[in-house]
Amino acid sequence: MSRSLEGAAVVGIGRSPFVRSSGRTTLSMAAQAAREALADCGLTAADVDGFTCYSTGDSAGPSQVAHAIGVDDLGWSLSVLGGGNIVTSTVAGAAAAVLSGQAEVVVVYRVLGSQTRYGRALERIEVDGEGQFAGPHGYLVPPQWFAMFCRRHQYEYGSTAADLGAIAVQERDHAVRNPHAVARSPITLDDYLNSRWISEPFRLFDCCYEIDGAVAIVVTSAERAADLPHRPVHLLGAADSNRFGGSVDQWDDLSCMYSRDTAPRLWSRTGLQPADIDVACMYDCFTFTVMATFEDFGFCAKGEVGDYFRAGRATYGGDVVVNPHGGLLSEGYIHGLNHHYEAVLQLRGEAGDRQVSGAETALVTSGAGPFGGALVYGTAAA
Amino acid sequence: MTTTHEERPSVGADPLSLPPQPVPDAVTAPFWAALAEGRLAMCRCGDCGLWLQPPLERCRRCAGPTRFADVAGTGTVYSFIVQHRATVPGYLDDLPYVVALVELDEQAGLRLPARIVGVDPAQVRCGLRVRAEFADLPGGDFTVAVFRPVDGL
Repeated sequence: MSRSLEGAAVVGIGRSPFVRSSGRTTLSMAAQAAREALADCGLTAADVDGFTCYSTGDSAGPSQVAHAIGVDDLGWSLSVLGGGNIVTSTVAGAAAAVLSGQAEVVVVYRVLGSQTRYGRALERIEVDGEGQFAGPHGYLVPPQWFAMFCRRHQYEYGSTAADLGAIAVQERDHAVRNPHAVARSPITLDDYLNSRWISEPFRLFDCCYEIDGAVAIVVTSAERAADLPHRPVHLLGAADSNRFGGSVDQWDDLSCMYSRDTAPRLWSRTGLQPADIDVACMYDCFTFTVMATFEDFGFCAKGEVGDYFRAGRATYGGDVVVNPHGGLLSEGYIHGLNHHYEAVLQLRGEAGDRQVSGAETALVTSGAGPFGGALVYGTAAA
Repeated sequence: MTTTHEERPSVGADPLSLPPQPVPDAVTAPFWAALAEGRLAMCRCGDCGLWLQPPLERCRRCAGPTRFADVAGTGTVYSFIVQHRATVPGYLDDLPYVVALVELDEQAGLRLPARIVGVDPAQVRCGLRVRAEFADLPGGDFTVAVFRPVDGL
């Protein structure tokens, strides 16, 4: 299974504006992102034969978006049910479709409209499934689940609020140089510590910024990519892990995440290690997601993330630049597909004021808790 | 299908006043039925004895038939949060409230999310020993198990 995605590349990227409340439909935003991604790589609707997205049932589907931008006959259409946990599978699935000949050019998108806000569930009157055990106790939404993880990490490894704050402050500092980010005012550690509690140990600045917007990327073969305008960004390998049926309550060790299992798989498949990574787009639905997965991927030992960030090792001039766009915390929450956009921009050398000098490899993670995945992009084919 | 607040005669005027109500299904119904009788019962394989949460019709390890069996109701706080703002309906008068993952004594890793009562939130710790007691779920139709520190902090 090693190097299973060799031969696939991302050639185009597009997105809608990111705003707090757009008033637009998911179809409108997704179509805009898809059109922009195709224009970016000099292709047209006539070139596209595959479309895929992931969603939690809150999005215009692949066939609709393809139709809306003028695709007449879609040969491969796949709608995946899932959130951050499934981004890697979706992108890798598009690559697999290309490599197996099911499609030649695939658009991958994610769109979020104002009807989707995961941080609160004030309209939830009844809950079924596993939620029926948690909801009646006032425990139902992701900030609560991952605050629960964070507390256990604090108990086992002595991580602190200041450690989480170091991540929030660093990411915001990066977003200052990103005109597309929704939150660009610098914050200090004091600002972080003074921000209001949400679900203790999480404060406001531990939580991502939920917004409206869409991102699309175009995946095709490396062969075809060679004829397109931009430097192709190659898929070097991907890995996922899913345990405990996705149960955040039953996951066996809340001080770590899916990445405990994904990381060795990914490094084995790519032949790479943390020291080889120039840009790390770490899925950051919450600061703690960065902390847990950063440790799991082996950038530092358990309990050392705060020191790592404070020492400047996670920014320009350090060991690896973490979320140069500001991440989901500050650029905005497009369910992790904006991390792929940023990785491509960086590896093309087109990230402007926030360009990571000489970036050749990018790790992109997705998911939190018991399930998720990660992939590596590179400027050179595997 | 979501039941709206207006259709429930027992619901108060504020739609945020009630916590989410459980929707039992064919597999989970015995859990709620036991609570209504003042028992905490969890799903267990009748063949190999593995406790299963969330419940399953057949055991995930040996595919044996499952049943609900009473547990002692004692356990340990594995982790917990203090909820300071209403992000989920209910318990508005109880903010800040504590929700824990309680690891039951019957099996390592067998956990239930539950409110912790009878203790200052600042006193709750991972490792705290707790015991189940029963409370009416606001709304009037269900009983839930909440947990209280064994030694009374």
